[in-house]
Amino acid sequence: MKTLKELYAYRQMIISLVRKELRGRYKGSVLGFMWTFINPLLQLLVYSVVFSMILGSQIDKFYLFLFVALVPWLFFSASLTGGSSSIIASKDMVKKIYFPREIMPISYVTSAFVNMLLCFLVIFAVMILFGIETGKVFHFEALLYLPVVMLIQYVLALGGALLTSGLTVYFRDLEHILGIVTMAWMYLTPIVYSEEMVMNKMGEWAYLYYLNPMTPITIAYRKILYSGEVPDMSTLVNAAVLGVGFLVIGYVVFRKLQKGFAEEL
Amino acid sequence: MKQENAIEVRDITKKFKVFYDKGSELKERLLFRNRNRYENRWVLNGISFDVKKGEAVGLVGHNGCGKSTTLKLLTKIIYPDEGTIEMRGRVSSLIELGAGFHPDMSGKENIYTNASIFGLTRREIEERLDDIIAFSELEDFIDNPVRTYSSGMYMRLAFSVAINVDADILLIDEILAVGDANFQAKCFNKLREIKANGTTIVIVSHSLGQIEQICERSLWIHDGIVQADGAPRDVHPRYLNYMGEKRQEIAEKERERQAVKSQQESEEHAGEKAEGEANEDKTKGPKESKRWGNGSARIKRVDLWNQKGEVQNVFATGEEMTIVIDYQLKKKVEDAVLGIALFRSDGIHCYGTNTRIDQIPEFSLTKSGRIKVKLEHLNLLPGEYLIDIAIESDIGVPVDYYKEAAKIEVYSMLQDVGIVRIEHSWEID
Repeated sequence: MKTLKELYAYRQMIISLVRKELRGRYKGSVLGFMWTFINPLLQLLVYSVVFSMILGSQIDKFYLFLFVALVPWLFFSASLTGGSSSIIASKDMVKKIYFPREIMPISYVTSAFVNMLLCFLVIFAVMILFGIETGKVFHFEALLYLPVVMLIQYVLALGGALLTSGLTVYFRDLEHILGIVTMAWMYLTPIVYSEEMVMNKMGEWAYLYYLNPMTPITIAYRKILYSGEVPDMSTLVNAAVLGVGFLVIGYVVFRKLQKGFAEEL
Repeated sequence: MKQENAIEVRDITKKFKVFYDKGSELKERLLFRNRNRYENRWVLNGISFDVKKGEAVGLVGHNGCGKSTTLKLLTKIIYPDEGTIEMRGRVSSLIELGAGFHPDMSGKENIYTNASIFGLTRREIEERLDDIIAFSELEDFIDNPVRTYSSGMYMRLAFSVAINVDADILLIDEILAVGDANFQAKCFNKLREIKANGTTIVIVSHSLGQIEQICERSLWIHDGIVQADGAPRDVHPRYLNYMGEKRQEIAEKERERQAVKSQQESEEHAGEKAEGEANEDKTKGPKESKRWGNGSARIKRVDLWNQKGEVQNVFATGEEMTIVIDYQLKKKVEDAVLGIALFRSDGIHCYGTNTRIDQIPEFSLTKSGRIKVKLEHLNLLPGEYLIDIAIESDIGVPVDYYKEAAKIEVYSMLQDVGIVRIEHSWEID
């Protein structure tokens, strides 16, 4: 409670850090802010070519199927990997001045979140183009659930970033290990394939698959944006419980670790 | 926490791990376990103190005594191993100025970023913006990128932001050396104004003068505990005396070292050098240039006594000081002249005299002995002073010229300026 109050008092710092992060990221590059859109689009292109053309995926409108899951995934993996270096990157400030240390991972995750929202503009553009063609997909009631899913994912990503940013201060290797971890995690999440493919093979162990917090979130995004349906309540509860659990663990660990930051850096 | 207190510190201890060879990679941690050996260095050994609301307190102590660590603990940058710290109100620190400054952003944008790090909201920053810019005197440059600023301008901007935060508790670490003399004076006035508004202030400084000007209370921290607590005029002389003694020890050691060295050298050169040869060549290295003479007599020891005859190295302006010179005689010195000279640490020759100038009847040194020079009123103003002692024989031959034979520190409770205090009185109608 005290932390929340303090974070509220420091809101201006979060705002200016997010702004700095968004503005500074592509500073000096020719295409500048356009990279926010180009990067996921190019990734989409690569995955689409590999999975639908080379591997011959049978999924209808594969690019949209992939895109609505890939954009949230990129946000999540950026939170883990980028968030992990957020404390180390601001070493000079952490060592010399007081502010609630949570601000660093929070502003990193928030800036990645804003990035994701911008990418959703592209998704909507694709959906509109597509909707005009088929008269389907846009489902107003389902879209009302979109902010809920986003909020849950934000909570989850924040928990992950708190955890990785705190631990990385003590184990610098984590930054590099996370690259592999997120890659494996991506393939363990139904992003380039549908969850049914896994469910069928796992049989009675299927529930293990739902312990991956990104699974219910991806399923929910896909339900809303790809199938145009209201997501199942059980999926949302599943996602919310795991998300809040992650945040609690991340917060508790971070609180404990942050006392030694200034000495360790 | 008591109602009238702004800060309560209770029995805090802090140790730092000093690693001999530290690896922070996982591989290093696992493979070279024995590399992670460290020793604990205790910096604070149980400090407790209260600071009342609106009080200004100075922390003094020698380098490494733990005063900066105490201040860092107060800002919550680091945490104590044991003990508790409670504080009431918004804390601002003038410890690291300009945190988060971005060189490519304009001065104004940096004000926003920097102030937000102190926990100010946008509205609060906008309210203070004019004050901050006016205080920094950077009106003409405020829209230029900070990288174009001189270091003085940079610090002025940073200081202006930090001091305009309107904190309830202000922590300051040795930063009142910002900008030119005018700006410093302005900072001081601002600090006084802030204090008058009821802000609690804690200052760490080596400049006792600064602390005396702002604080009504001083804490002397020594070896991780509070050694003395009270009004600056009571605490500072004790601290200075301690420092003087310590310096005396160091000087003594250095003298012994030099003595051993010169003995070794003279043994090496025995034979080569005829005894009694004057050695006035100042270019022969620090030892020779600090001491020269024909060696008929040698100053063995120089002590400084206070009025009570106690050895002391720190004197208050106007106090009595006696220079006690012990010398050893090798050969009789005819028509001896003894001289003293006082230099300020920056080389200004403040005073010098000798027995001839003072028209002391001629005398000869026939055996080892002691000479005392009493300075009834040491009217030098605060600073460090070096004393040269010389024995000459009347024809102007240096017997033993001992440069920087003693070092004293002078402190004062008054703030008059210059080199010496000239006794005076005012008459105003």
